[in-house]
Amino acid sequence: MKNEGMTLIVKTVTRITVWIIILYGFYIILHGHLTPGGGFGGGVIIALALLNVMLAYGRDFTSRWLNISALEHVESLSALLFLILGIIGMVTTGTFLANFLSKGELFQLLSAGTIPVLNIIIGFKVALSLFLVVWVLTSLKMTKGDTA
Amino acid sequence: MTVYVLCFALFLIGIYGIISKRDLIKIILSVGILGYAANLFLILVAYKKDAVYPILTQGSVNQPMVDPLPQALVLTSIVIELGTTALLVALAVRLFQKYKTFDITKIRRLRG
Repeated sequence: MKNEGMTLIVKTVTRITVWIIILYGFYIILHGHLTPGGGFGGGVIIALALLNVMLAYGRDFTSRWLNISALEHVESLSALLFLILGIIGMVTTGTFLANFLSKGELFQLLSAGTIPVLNIIIGFKVALSLFLVVWVLTSLKMTKGDTA
Repeated sequence: MTVYVLCFALFLIGIYGIISKRDLIKIILSVGILGYAANLFLILVAYKKDAVYPILTQGSVNQPMVDPLPQALVLTSIVIELGTTALLVALAVRLFQKYKTFDITKIRRLRG
């Protein structure tokens, strides 16, 4: 277990690029109501950045770098937050997921009511569930078998 | 019309892979190709000649736009396909742990 993960080149490049990829993911999520993209697209980008670390450095390093059980809780909590926002809309205006914030000015970053908030929640949900699916799949031990 | 025929050909490639391949991984990939063909068909239905993408940006003039509804639907479809693929991979891993092979002709003992 001394040389876990990939080579030094891959590790160095990953160390430089992973934060840029995460920043780009957050940019896509935050501008979801203005430009193409949104919660799903940005979430996938963030998940791929986390998977990049897992592939380059190995599972042990990633489990020390990230608190996996806390991520599982955040992932479950984001679904609950989405539901709560929907119910707030139902209480204030009568329709599920209705807008209850100010719509703001068109093409501004802080506009479009609850849509940016929902985009952020969906981004967290998608990023963490995509990452955790692959995390759980890689935890299954596979031993060498017959050639098919 | 040609694009619809090509899309159907992609669909047939997926079905061919599911029916004729013996490796479980290749079957999962074929299910993926099948899904891509279905998504491509929905996008092609929404296509309009000389139309722009259905997103308003700052300073854009009014032009004919392609239908945004199938695109939103396909986004959901892609997510569901992802879940299906993850489930299939998990099942394949479990089968491998049990039988030590991905060959479906050797996975035949239902008991044990």
